[in-house]
Amino acid sequence: MNFRARGCNVYEGISDVSIWKHKPADELRIMTKSTIQSAAERWVDDHGECLYRFALIRVRKPEVAEDLVQETFLAAVRGYEKFSGRSSERTWLCGILKHKIVDYFRKLRREPSFTDLEFFSDECLGKFVSIGFWNHEKGPKEWKPEPDEVMHRAEFWQTMRDCLSKLPQKVRDVFTMREMDDVPSKEICAILSISDSNLRVMLHRVRMALRECLEMNWFETIGKS
Amino acid sequence: MPDEPYNPSPIGNPSVLARRNWLQTKLVIFIGKHTPKCREMVRILSQSMDEPMPLMMRIKKRIHFLICCWCQRYEEQLRYIHETARQFPEHADEASSAIFHSDTKERIKRKLVEQAG
Repeated sequence: MNFRARGCNVYEGISDVSIWKHKPADELRIMTKSTIQSAAERWVDDHGECLYRFALIRVRKPEVAEDLVQETFLAAVRGYEKFSGRSSERTWLCGILKHKIVDYFRKLRREPSFTDLEFFSDECLGKFVSIGFWNHEKGPKEWKPEPDEVMHRAEFWQTMRDCLSKLPQKVRDVFTMREMDDVPSKEICAILSISDSNLRVMLHRVRMALRECLEMNWFETIGKS
Repeated sequence: MPDEPYNPSPIGNPSVLARRNWLQTKLVIFIGKHTPKCREMVRILSQSMDEPMPLMMRIKKRIHFLICCWCQRYEEQLRYIHETARQFPEHADEASSAIFHSDTKERIKRKLVEQAG
């Protein structure tokens, strides 16, 4: 079982070595408030930056991002007993933050802008020939390297962020909720007050646009090097 | 584009079936006629990322892929994007250089101390 995450160990500083023999749930009962407190403070140092940057990319307002990160850590302290240790701390904290972000969007409850869909109206321009098959010159090219490999390259994540930032705000929200937060389609429709068919069209177009952007800016340039 | 429903045959078309001989030509035309066109197929592939694809459509997709490596790549790339997008939050610190101010960190730590106390 992996208790470590990016050089951070919540259990550092626990003097009683015997608790390592127990499962995490048992350990938590033994842990004192001060231990949880010091672990929580370490989370802020180790994962605060990552959570803040993710929140900022999603909500685009620094003060809102800070509040969401704070709420995440507070919720983590409250729910620490539920942390089984099966995933890394960062994954667990990101999971809490994702819920906080979805709650934030739920409270906003905005109307979708039609212009967002118009933005993609020419998404297929030149990609397909008139009878609906791919124009082979402009069809998808092979992507290398494999996902496992690119995940260790900071430039890939920067390219993905740049590609996401080029998307209209509401379309990007739809995509990130579905693909990053794993929110079910029906819930996204309810949160953003859009119809099911509208959501399908938005997701299709945003995936096509993002695929294109990654191909042009990563796989045909940086990814090859 | 010619009148035939599907006439790729560019030299070096890497699809499994690509009009390399008479039989392949007939098969390509038949499959092109009886499976969704690529423009429709990419919509269906996107939808399949969110809900299960019906069995008949899964079969049609597989057959379509025989004549169209581009749709097959498209599906693989949608999965690629899905897989990497899921990992994005944990790599947000590498994707951005936004500063998480130390006074904000301290404020949050103070809150956490209050909460734990």
